[in-house]
Amino acid sequence: MNPASSTRGTVKERADIALNDDFLRNAVRFTTDRLRSGKKVASTEHGNWEEWRERGRQIRLHTIAHLDYYLNLFVENARSNGVHVHFADNAVEATDIVMTIARQKEAQSVIKSKSMVSEEVHINQALELSGIEAIESDLGEYIIQLAGEGPSHIVIPAIHKNRYQIAELLSEDAGETLEPDTTILAGYVRRKLRQKFLEADIGMTGCNFAIAETGSMVLFENEGNARMVTTVPKTQITLMGMERIVPSWADLEVMATLLPRSATGQRLTMYMSGITGPKRTVDADGPEEMHIIIVDNGRSQQLGDPEFQELLNCIRCGACLNVCPVYRQIGGHSYGGTYSGPIGAVLTPALNKNVAEWDDIASASSLCGACYEACPVKIPLHDMLVSLRRRKVERGHGDKLEALGMRGFATLMANSKRFALAMRLGKIAQKPFVHNSGIHLKLGPLKGWNTYRVAPTLANHSFRDQWKELSAETAAQPKTIDPAVRQRMEQVLADRQHNKSTSRTGGESHE
Amino acid sequence: MSNTNQPFSAKPPVVPNPESSHLTPDHEQHDSSQADWLDELEQKSKAKQQTFMNHIADRLQRPRIQEAPKHPFRGAPEIWQDFNWNEAEKIEKFTKHFTEVGGNVLRMQTLEEAGAFIAEQSRLLNAQYIVRQQLPETEALTLEARLPHVQISAWNSHTEEAWKARAAEADIGIVLADGAAAYTGTVMVTSSASQGRSVSLLPTVCIVLLPIERLQTRLGELLIPWDSKGRENLPAGIHFISGPSRSSDIENELTIGVHGPGIVYTLLIG
Repeated sequence: MNPASSTRGTVKERADIALNDDFLRNAVRFTTDRLRSGKKVASTEHGNWEEWRERGRQIRLHTIAHLDYYLNLFVENARSNGVHVHFADNAVEATDIVMTIARQKEAQSVIKSKSMVSEEVHINQALELSGIEAIESDLGEYIIQLAGEGPSHIVIPAIHKNRYQIAELLSEDAGETLEPDTTILAGYVRRKLRQKFLEADIGMTGCNFAIAETGSMVLFENEGNARMVTTVPKTQITLMGMERIVPSWADLEVMATLLPRSATGQRLTMYMSGITGPKRTVDADGPEEMHIIIVDNGRSQQLGDPEFQELLNCIRCGACLNVCPVYRQIGGHSYGGTYSGPIGAVLTPALNKNVAEWDDIASASSLCGACYEACPVKIPLHDMLVSLRRRKVERGHGDKLEALGMRGFATLMANSKRFALAMRLGKIAQKPFVHNSGIHLKLGPLKGWNTYRVAPTLANHSFRDQWKELSAETAAQPKTIDPAVRQRMEQVLADRQHNKSTSRTGGESHE
Repeated sequence: MSNTNQPFSAKPPVVPNPESSHLTPDHEQHDSSQADWLDELEQKSKAKQQTFMNHIADRLQRPRIQEAPKHPFRGAPEIWQDFNWNEAEKIEKFTKHFTEVGGNVLRMQTLEEAGAFIAEQSRLLNAQYIVRQQLPETEALTLEARLPHVQISAWNSHTEEAWKARAAEADIGIVLADGAAAYTGTVMVTSSASQGRSVSLLPTVCIVLLPIERLQTRLGELLIPWDSKGRENLPAGIHFISGPSRSSDIENELTIGVHGPGIVYTLLIG
């Protein structure tokens, strides 16, 4: 459970390790394929997907733009429901509040359901330092906790482990050999954790959505462990990112439509629970005491930033991971932070503002825009990645060699005589390095490219060299285009303009 | 761990009453030794709340918003609000969707018929313990009479029992749905004194009684009413269940019954 260990080195070094692990690459690809096609089926089946996306985006935009109002409303209502609400500016404060509660409760063990915020503030380490057992109860999280690793996917945290590795980990935990059979392994975890649930002093959860108007918190899950955590232990602590708010239960319908379909292709997760305060006096189960810790930890830095405010619209579905060609190759751990994939590449540097350490993960993207297409609330992640790169260069953290190269390129391209001269010199200079009509040299600026590819040579007779003949040739031909072609082109243009004027504001389709 | 096999007439069910004290949250019941540190945290929290909210407004470069803002995009798209299936379609879709994810749906005419079915299943599964919500509908199943050798408890029928342990050891839990949505194949159960959250969660098998008139088309039909019910009238737990507990965390292979019930029946009554 020490993500710090996975953050060592650059994103490139971590990716190199991941790229050499065949199982990891296959598993990530297989899983992301499954989730991606599941989403496609579910969103198509639902119909009007674009309209729902736009609605989801509008609700998130509205809530974040009025976050002080809605968050305050949530806090007041949750308090009236009997919840103890706390505020944490950063990870240290969040941890302190949890530790205060745990000490007062003289807690021996804390049982947790999946919470990315708790990963973000490293709560397990803090508890364990104080001798309090912290147990992850989500099957995948339990497995990676035994392995001492962090999650590699928002939705499927143990995506990188195969059943043999899992059987080994669980056998060690059980003190007996367990067959590498999914049913046996899951059955063992069910029995083991059932006991832990009944013994635990504190249950700790994350929060998918918090409903401002009634002070309720909502959890989506498939295993039932989040329900266990909010039903069995006497004390419940919920860690909630400050942006998790939706105004009403009516708005929850939109989120409940978008989140499961985008995350796993389900119509709805097997369980969705709305928890409104601790158990009532006459109830015989549910937590007697309930705490909600509202965590900032870098989130408020995105507010008022025109390029990054929309980052707070994220509903943590992981759809952007499943479509990302880079994530699909290198897996989640290569990103080095709590959040991986395109959302992680933006969120991690944004939440850790000015931490030079994270600068390189903004480069782990091909800027293809598939993440934006997949995002159920239409966050323009690829634009944000460009902004991040630009800010990095503006702050003077850019690659010096690259900047020099770009300046040289600009000088060269600005003047045709200079360019022609350079090409003539280049044709001569490349001669010693050309083999089989390609350049294989792995030195200097060519190293990065030529490690996996072969650079093409400069042509003997370039397009520019041929231009005189070619322009003469085209000048000799009739200038009118085929009327059929012309008509088709005009139709395309008219359609495009028509679509543009009738489409709703914001979120043009990505072209 | 004494279990009771009470005839259902032993105690009247606790009927939820919004006027009564059952809605008092438990935080008002703490003894004074606990109150000290909680009070201290509470004071800290209230002091911090203002700076926290002011900071958000500052970042958004405007004064604090105190009045409810206009929310033109509230809830699902308008076309969706008019989408409704007729009863036959609702039954067909609910059955299809709940079954597709591994649940079971059966149509029953009466609670009497449901009781006979549950008794038969209990014998097949060799159930030793059953826990049911303490409601007229689950009482009308007359399971106590049908299964004299099975220990059947009605949730929270007396205060001295360790009810969570009762539910944890139960083979079958029986609950009444407060509503259902055909579109997602979801049943809704709520918590109260007589309706433990554990009953639909801890037993190996969960049986949900769904009166047919409570079956709606859209999930929104179950969610939106909570907006107008009034915060103080919401139950502590509102649970939406769409099938058996499941996980695909090990090599993407589907496993059923990870933490919650692996076998789930919805009995459509009426």
